Amino acid sequence: MDKLSRLTPEDRENLIAYLDGELDEQATRHMESMLVESSVARNDVEALSRTYDLLDELPRPNVPNDFVERTVATAKMEHVSVPISKRPWFRKTTQILTLCGWTTLLVASAAVGSLVSSRYFQSQDDVLIEKLPVIENLDVYYEVDNLEFLNRLSAETSLLNEMAREANDE
Amino acid sequence: MLRVKDGDDGAFAQIVQRFQNRLVGVFTNMFADSSLAEDLAQEVFLRVYRAKQGYQPTAKLSTWIFQIAHNLASNSRRSKGRKKEVQFQQSLSGSQPVAFGEERLPENSSLMPTRQFEKSELQDRVQQAMSLLNERQRMAVLLHRFEGMSYADIGEAMDLSPQAVKSLLSRARENLREALESFVQ
Repeated sequence: MDKLSRLTPEDRENLIAYLDGELDEQATRHMESMLVESSVARNDVEALSRTYDLLDELPRPNVPNDFVERTVATAKMEHVSVPISKRPWFRKTTQILTLCGWTTLLVASAAVGSLVSSRYFQSQDDVLIEKLPVIENLDVYYEVDNLEFLNRLSAETSLLNEMAREANDE
Repeated sequence: MLRVKDGDDGAFAQIVQRFQNRLVGVFTNMFADSSLAEDLAQEVFLRVYRAKQGYQPTAKLSTWIFQIAHNLASNSRRSKGRKKEVQFQQSLSGSQPVAFGEERLPENSSLMPTRQFEKSELQDRVQQAMSLLNERQRMAVLLHRFEGMSYADIGEAMDLSPQAVKSLLSRARENLREALESFVQ
């Protein structure tokens, strides 16, 4: 390399990476040979190093003594100040569980109500079915008119026999 | 950090102690406002604390913390985006920013030793040179120079490839050289 020729942009980039120790072995050797051969490269390296060293002049402020204490307290307070009952996930879960609870209660109430009503309260159809034998013989019961008389009659065997004979004769 | 995850607040205090000045240093030189720098540094630690349960030791702690710092700095920059951009420099002793370009002459300058004045002037010039960099270049330079981070770590913290960091730092250092060359000749 011509010792006074300007460096290419890639060489300049690599030169800085070389200063930072970020090049691999092969690129490092290339840079070292370039520095040996090129006074421009050597000047660049020196200027880059010296200007970069000036950054040590930048302020490096120290924080107040109570910074750690304040930061830890703030972090803990932030953590503690939101009780579990106030956290969004907890509130959401509570809402869902409440909704599920009320729904279950409603369904259970409906089931119990249906069971009770079917057990203790008869419908009109149930009454009709239960009284069907009476309904079927209602005409006979009207003709009998008096159940006590019928019972006494059934006790008079001789009279019933006579009535039967007469009925046969006719 | 694993101890912090297990609820050891003493370990968290140690992390704050270890990184507090480093973070404030980076933020101060990013934004030239020590009060803002302290607030941002504290916010970084609060985010670390909040994220403790999900922490996985996949990267270096310092890289992770500076990744949070970089994100916070980017958000802070965006939130201030519509404000008129005026570059400030931080006075050495106070928290009030001073506009770049103004000569910072202490009230008792006649009593100040020449050497101290020269140092102060040099610091002004370096800060001025830093203000010429864009914010990504500035962050990369600060992480490299102040934190001694490798290109790979800077890339991880700033979500860039090592090659992109190499180019970023190269441009930044060329800019710094142009701005400061007269001081080193």
